[in-house]
Amino acid sequence: MAEITPHDVTLHVQTTGSGSPAVLFLHGLVMDNLSSWYFTAGTRVARDGATAVLMDLRGHGRSERPATGYGVEVLLADIVGVLDHLGHAQVVVAGNSFGGQLAAALAIAHPERVQGVVLVDAHLGAEGWGDAMASTLSLTGEARDTMIATHFQDWLGRHSTRKRTRLADTARALVEGTTLVADLQASPGLEDDAIAQWTMPVLALYGQDSDLRDEPDRLRRLVPHADVRVFEGATHSLMWERTAEVVDAIAGFVAGFRCEG
Amino acid sequence: MSESTLHAITGMIGEVLGDEMVDEPITMETSFADDLEIESIELVQLAELVEARWGEKVDFNAWIAGQSIDDVISLTVGDLVTFVDSCL
Repeated sequence: MAEITPHDVTLHVQTTGSGSPAVLFLHGLVMDNLSSWYFTAGTRVARDGATAVLMDLRGHGRSERPATGYGVEVLLADIVGVLDHLGHAQVVVAGNSFGGQLAAALAIAHPERVQGVVLVDAHLGAEGWGDAMASTLSLTGEARDTMIATHFQDWLGRHSTRKRTRLADTARALVEGTTLVADLQASPGLEDDAIAQWTMPVLALYGQDSDLRDEPDRLRRLVPHADVRVFEGATHSLMWERTAEVVDAIAGFVAGFRCEG
Repeated sequence: MSESTLHAITGMIGEVLGDEMVDEPITMETSFADDLEIESIELVQLAELVEARWGEKVDFNAWIAGQSIDDVISLTVGDLVTFVDSCL
């Protein structure tokens, strides 16, 4: 296991493949970890000739779970620290759900380091997103367990007792044992003006029936050159509902960077 | 199939699952998801152990890349043993 300690926290990072471009994959919140990308687009782009960098965000997967530091700014510092450690001056960054928000935040804060952006049903942090996220995560007891089951499903063995127990334990530790909820609530959303500055290629994939259904139009308006695709009949779980199409779309997007050397 | 490969992979599964290792013997038919209830992040850990043991000649990542999610969910220990043996 590759462990990287960019500043105050030890993070679990997997790198596979050795070609160009380097693609950084960012997962979603609470129940997610780098394995969701590993078993989808991560290994695929590596097989196709790129370098896939997969990281567990702090508090997730096999990364350390400190009590604090879950706001977008600190998470971005973790991400940049990993890229610096691995020597990647530039990457294509891909994010699913909240990982997409981090990908977008990275492209805004460090556009010189981002060759391209892939968003998979990504929160873009419109006004009030922090409160909405916090209210979802602040549930307790049965309501929280239902939330876990419906919003943060993991795909592998999702019906197993062991797994459900583990998921609930992990969620409880993260939601109740860290400043995650408060930190997200305090994190500013992404400004339209900042997104509109993007000049790098952008691929955005959204579920038509997702609760983020306004984001595709927002992206089309702010980033006219973005390739925005909406999948009919898909929800926020687009990655699991339409895995093959999502992986093919990302692999095609990443292949476009190969010739640029 | 190779008994030694099955033995080695059984050891790796034990290392990954730790205290939660199943009591039943691991066979070629044992399913990672249904029988072992392995988590996806643990399967990544298993990939690391496979690489550490057999090196680049067993390219677990490329093997996974060639499979659909449904294939991965229905993986058995025997699938992995057969794949490893085919590389050695």
